[in-house]
Amino acid sequence: MMRMLRKASWSQIGMPAVLVGLVVVFGAINPNFWSATNVTNVSRQISVLALISIGQTFAILSGGIDLSVGSLLALVSVVCAQQMLEVGVAGGVVAGVLAGGLAGLVNGVLIAKARVPAFIATLGMLVAARGVALTLSGGLPIAGLPREFLVVGAGNWGPFPVPTIIVAAAFVVAYVTLSRTRFGRYVYAMGSNEEAAVLSGINVAKYKTLVYVVSGLFAGIAGVVLTSRVISGQPTLGEVQELHSIAAVVIGGGRISGGVGGIGKTLMGVLVLGILSNGLNLAQVSSYVQNIVIGAIIVGAVYIDVAGERRRRGSTVTS
Amino acid sequence: MSKHLKRIDWLVGVCLVLMSGCVGGSPPPPADRAQAQVRDASNGVAPLERAHPGESEAGDEYPRPPKPAKQYTIGVVLPHLSNPHFVGQAYGYIDEAEQLGAKVTLLEAGGYQYLDKQVSQVEDLVASKVDAIILVAVSGSGTIGAVEHAFAAGIPVINCNVMTDSNRVVTRIRSDDEMIGQMHADFMGQTLGGSGSVVMLRGAPGTSWAEYRGNAFKQRLSERYPNVQILGEQYSQSTPADGLRLMEDFMQTFPRIDGVYNGSDTTANGAALAILAAGRQGSTVVTATDLQIDTEASLREGVITATVLQQTVTIGRWGVRAAINHLEGRQVPQTLFTPLLLATKDSLDTVDMSAVRAPVGWTPPN
Repeated sequence: MMRMLRKASWSQIGMPAVLVGLVVVFGAINPNFWSATNVTNVSRQISVLALISIGQTFAILSGGIDLSVGSLLALVSVVCAQQMLEVGVAGGVVAGVLAGGLAGLVNGVLIAKARVPAFIATLGMLVAARGVALTLSGGLPIAGLPREFLVVGAGNWGPFPVPTIIVAAAFVVAYVTLSRTRFGRYVYAMGSNEEAAVLSGINVAKYKTLVYVVSGLFAGIAGVVLTSRVISGQPTLGEVQELHSIAAVVIGGGRISGGVGGIGKTLMGVLVLGILSNGLNLAQVSSYVQNIVIGAIIVGAVYIDVAGERRRRGSTVTS
Repeated sequence: MSKHLKRIDWLVGVCLVLMSGCVGGSPPPPADRAQAQVRDASNGVAPLERAHPGESEAGDEYPRPPKPAKQYTIGVVLPHLSNPHFVGQAYGYIDEAEQLGAKVTLLEAGGYQYLDKQVSQVEDLVASKVDAIILVAVSGSGTIGAVEHAFAAGIPVINCNVMTDSNRVVTRIRSDDEMIGQMHADFMGQTLGGSGSVVMLRGAPGTSWAEYRGNAFKQRLSERYPNVQILGEQYSQSTPADGLRLMEDFMQTFPRIDGVYNGSDTTANGAALAILAAGRQGSTVVTATDLQIDTEASLREGVITATVLQQTVTIGRWGVRAAINHLEGRQVPQTLFTPLLLATKDSLDTVDMSAVRAPVGWTPPN
């Protein structure tokens, strides 16, 4: 039994335990935490982070990183809103998602073809995409979007919030892609050992590019959802969201150097961050203190994971 | 393994740098073109419209209602608490709530750029079933959805200080920004004896306050003091550094500047530094809005000539009073303008500071 516990990793036991603990504590502090409205509330609030974190999972699993997703939310929001005023709701949504995918393609080509390190390429995009968003919008919010567009971020489908359904669909697509397709296996292979991936004949440049297109597309979907939530195009949206998405991946148990992790784990990390923020708000903890707690959780989660791995390796050697 | 660890150290380090850059370095974004975005006034609740000076429905006083039998919980959502202006308001909300036996949940978004956070905060307050929400919007258009969410949940929203474009609010409480601009103009015109040349540091582009104050200033000057000439005007992100830089550039461009209009105290603090460095203090009329500690010091030194004081504490108090009145079933006016006051070095000591800023040493609860 002890041995089983020792062998269990952070993401298998620690993470779900933390989640259950959070839910119990917050429920005890404020009974409204349990209310149906708050459950849908949390699922709606985490939708944007969940979507960009799914994309971030692809990037980190492949051994890279995507720092641009936060700024892409702003770029997508501006493009989506401007096009929506021109060509209607559907046109705006498509334009927004495509803008994200296009920025992702630029990232991918820079990283895979031009061999700019992922960190630098996407850091450049982080700065530049915000600049494009501010330039396109003149720094001002774009208002007057059609009311029907509210459905995407605020509507319900039966008892389920629409953004939650979007996240669920994205989750299924991403999960199947990573676990059942060749592309998915290659993502893990590139992240575990890129050299071996090259030597085994994988077209690394092609699949790496694809990874960032995928990340950009998910940022595009997230940007559209966020634009609907605030029912306006906003060039200032999404600041530090890229760091929250990285935090979600590593809190869930994804390895920052790639090769280890998964969509399910990432979603768990998203849930921890979302429930923490909502629960602390309901418990009336100041937002300054919230930052301290979240920072500690990010580092603590990775530390426990690393320490657990070291212990497991140690025990294999001695037994 | 070691590769793993090293990568983490490196990443966390870079993240810290990035975060500090993001948090500290981002200029506040311009708020919305409030005028252009008025829509759907059909429900007849307090439409957002341009203020007309002196139109406040409550006059100079909006009295405290009797203490209700019930202990109400009021959620207050602020853009941030790093400006004394909002700290004073926070004091107003909290102290007034105490007087009326109410409980305040105070949330701040961390800056005008964190619209998504403010939206989530409103949703959290709705989920925790507060009795009323007081909203100081980080964005006019961006808060429409959040306000309608609260409205649909039957939770009344009181809009204070910075306006939302949603019409589903009980009342709007703020300073009359056009009157602020006119007070600047009257003081400038009279002090310059009806003629001279001035420059304008308007503030953040696209914010309702920068637009209303600046436009009213220009209009009033042209109506009443046609010989006061406006040499130039600049927008900025409204920090002291912007005020300093813009004023230095203005003084390089124009050999003679008789007056400087400031839409806020932040640019005024910077402009005061530029004027001091050039040794032009006393010979240039500088008007500011609001009163940070630095502004007060410059006013006492005579570098800043006058400042228009907003009653930030009063905005907070009236917000809570309006919320309680509404919850107790009393009629609440659709618009309330809090009183304004122009202070100079000589009159500063006669001003009742308890309405203007939080007591010295008071900090918002953590």
